[in-house]
Amino acid sequence: MELKKSQISKEIRKTIIELANKSKSPHVGSSLSCVDILTVLYFDVLNLQPWENRDIFILSKAHAAMSLYSTLARRGIIDEKLLNGYYQNEGTLPAHLDRFTAKGVEVSAGSLGHGFNMGLGMAFGFKKKKQDRKVYTLIGDGESQEGSIWEGALFGSKLGLDNFTAIMDYNNLQGYGRARELCSFEPVKSKWQAFGWHAVEIGGHDFNALKDAFCEYTQGKPKIIIAHTTKGKGVSFMQDQLIWHYYIVTDEHKKKALLELSDI
Amino acid sequence: MRNTFINTIIDACKIREDVFIISGDAGLGVFDEFKNTFSDKFLNLGVAEQNMISFTAGLSMTGFKVYVYNIIPFVLYRCYEQVRNDICYQELPVTLVGIGSGITYSPQGMTHYSVEDIGIAQSLPNMKVFSPTDPIEAKLAAKFSLSSGSPVYVRLAKRGEPNIHKNETFDITEPQLIEDGEDIAIIFHGSIGLEVLKAREILKKDGILPKLISMPMVMPINGEKLFLMLRNLKWVITVEEHFINSGIGSMLSREYVKANPDWKLSTLGIPDGFIHAIKDLDGMREYFGISATRIAEYIRKKATV
Repeated sequence: MELKKSQISKEIRKTIIELANKSKSPHVGSSLSCVDILTVLYFDVLNLQPWENRDIFILSKAHAAMSLYSTLARRGIIDEKLLNGYYQNEGTLPAHLDRFTAKGVEVSAGSLGHGFNMGLGMAFGFKKKKQDRKVYTLIGDGESQEGSIWEGALFGSKLGLDNFTAIMDYNNLQGYGRARELCSFEPVKSKWQAFGWHAVEIGGHDFNALKDAFCEYTQGKPKIIIAHTTKGKGVSFMQDQLIWHYYIVTDEHKKKALLELSDI
Repeated sequence: MRNTFINTIIDACKIREDVFIISGDAGLGVFDEFKNTFSDKFLNLGVAEQNMISFTAGLSMTGFKVYVYNIIPFVLYRCYEQVRNDICYQELPVTLVGIGSGITYSPQGMTHYSVEDIGIAQSLPNMKVFSPTDPIEAKLAAKFSLSSGSPVYVRLAKRGEPNIHKNETFDITEPQLIEDGEDIAIIFHGSIGLEVLKAREILKKDGILPKLISMPMVMPINGEKLFLMLRNLKWVITVEEHFINSGIGSMLSREYVKANPDWKLSTLGIPDGFIHAIKDLDGMREYFGISATRIAEYIRKKATV
């Protein structure tokens, strides 16, 4: 299973590189950062059958949309053909999420600090309806500077939303610098604990640790998984490099990246 | 208006499973009975408006018909982007119930006035906007919202306004003829309607009998119906407790340019600018020229030139 997931995540990364190159759109580093998290979610955690009663995944850091689209296609939720129209004239998929464009895009998002809170509302709604459905929301570390995140944090625990899991993609590289240097970011884990959340801190590229963290039951408490990741993960020259928040993947970059991702 | 609107929603709760009310720590006393009877359908999300609106959007997506209750700055201004992206962009049937329209809360200060909310709402595609003039219009707006598949924003003044309408059997989406008249028409929305009615009484003594038209649905504006009602007139005046630059006066100006009618158009309201004057509501309306006497005076002067 471990090998299979690593193979799947590699394929998703390749798709992201192809998409970024074809579209000349930014955020390839942000998208590569969370691939392993999405792989574990979509291939090992989310209950997607029956579809109308599925678990929900919300990509709150929606600038990593390429990661979601590629994962949805790999999982067979959207037709791979849809990817051809990503960020194109008369296209099919925008750079930030529009829920009317594709199955599996649960919410429209792109402005930070919205998806997390919509997820809380959904988790509350499922509880009210006594539906056994879980909600997972991926937030960025830069996104965690939004006041709305902390407003939601105050209420998520009060409402006992143990069907809600937030994952922080903690790559410590936001648009223009390191989260830890820009503001008083740390200690992250104890901040969330102080807000009444069950907080765990793990390696965000460790499939087993992710799976265990997702599956841990936290009676009466919402969960945050602080996943330490590497921006640009999987492509050596993109890893932990600030420029790959915005840089465009040229044909040359693509060739090098795909070669690296072909190595097992 | 406030109590009539809320009571209509509460009545619906008795027969519908899906209605849910969220308050942002506002409306002391308004929901007391409701909270006792339907404790599982009410949630106070505190002083955290961004979360309140996004949370509402998520709740709506699970199938609830959600009402958000707060004073207007806290359902529309503080959380504008959440309303734009999470409710309107996603086409969710959420109703925002905003209290304290215009300068209702004078002299609480500018932070508590809502003199540009219709202007802001105009920038939100998919939004249906109501500004009821009396409890009957508020009730019909509530009924509209209950069956609406779109986002709805209702701007209400406070509680205790008298009824202007004599019956409840009209289409809330259309302009309403309150008093018939000749040559002149006054178009209004919201609680300023009472001042307009009084102004007409004053003008009557001078033999001036303007037509009075209430516009409970201010967005989208039903221009076709309205212009039919304005045929054969010489002068149309809009009166509103809102900035002139972005309320129905300005909307009607745009329609006016398209239709190029024979009548002249004047727009009364609050000039754009931060309000530093400290007066009660009556004093403030007088100050801005939208009290009954000032409206009558304005019309008398121009009508008799």
